[in-house]
Amino acid sequence: MPSDKNNKIPFNEDNYTHNIERNNERKLDRRGFMKTLAGAAGVFAVSSLPWGAVAAKELIGLGEKEYPKQKIIDESKLAVGDAFEFKFPGEHDDAIIIRLAEDRYVAYQNACTHLRCPVFWVKEQNQMVCPCHHGFFDVETGAPTAGPPRRPLPEIQVKVENGAIYAVRVKRYEA
Amino acid sequence: MKRSYVGVAVLAVILFLNIIFTQYMVHQFFYENYVNTLIFCGLNIVLFPIALFAYKKMKNVKA
Repeated sequence: MPSDKNNKIPFNEDNYTHNIERNNERKLDRRGFMKTLAGAAGVFAVSSLPWGAVAAKELIGLGEKEYPKQKIIDESKLAVGDAFEFKFPGEHDDAIIIRLAEDRYVAYQNACTHLRCPVFWVKEQNQMVCPCHHGFFDVETGAPTAGPPRRPLPEIQVKVENGAIYAVRVKRYEA
Repeated sequence: MKRSYVGVAVLAVILFLNIIFTQYMVHQFFYENYVNTLIFCGLNIVLFPIALFAYKKMKNVKA
């Protein structure tokens, strides 16, 4: 008596474990390709978010460091055209303040942006000079004008209160 | 069955724009032009719904 026991599908394959159509399983068709491209656009959008967030943070100014304001010198002790050296914000961060006019002060961290020699104010030449390798800086902006340094000196914001000059903050480096 | 490949072309263009915007965004970030960074970030984000829309519109289009 022939048995058709081996000629039968043992159980219904329409279930959760035997659901793979092997023939076309890996085929990337037109629609699948478009789906991949749309997904890639999503990945790009999500990965843009941190850049935007950090840029927004910088714009709002959360990246600025705050230091306690520090008295530099009395206004009366600094004649027009003279310079005075001080430390800001740390006790090892050399800085220089120059009185350009009666009510105009500029202050910079005066470590040369080439090899960190101290930069001096030369009144006769009306510019700041690094004696090590003859680097010159514009006194109005701190931008390098000649010699090896390529980057400007970091500017320090100052404030005059009751006849005394205070250092408030170091401006962010701008290229 | 003939299919239209306009959708594929549109999405490929969107991917191309994505790459360009991302490149600009990163460069402008390191040049510290943060407003430009935000603009390109926004453009990148806007491209995603456009891509989704294009996909939904074009997935069943026949030639």
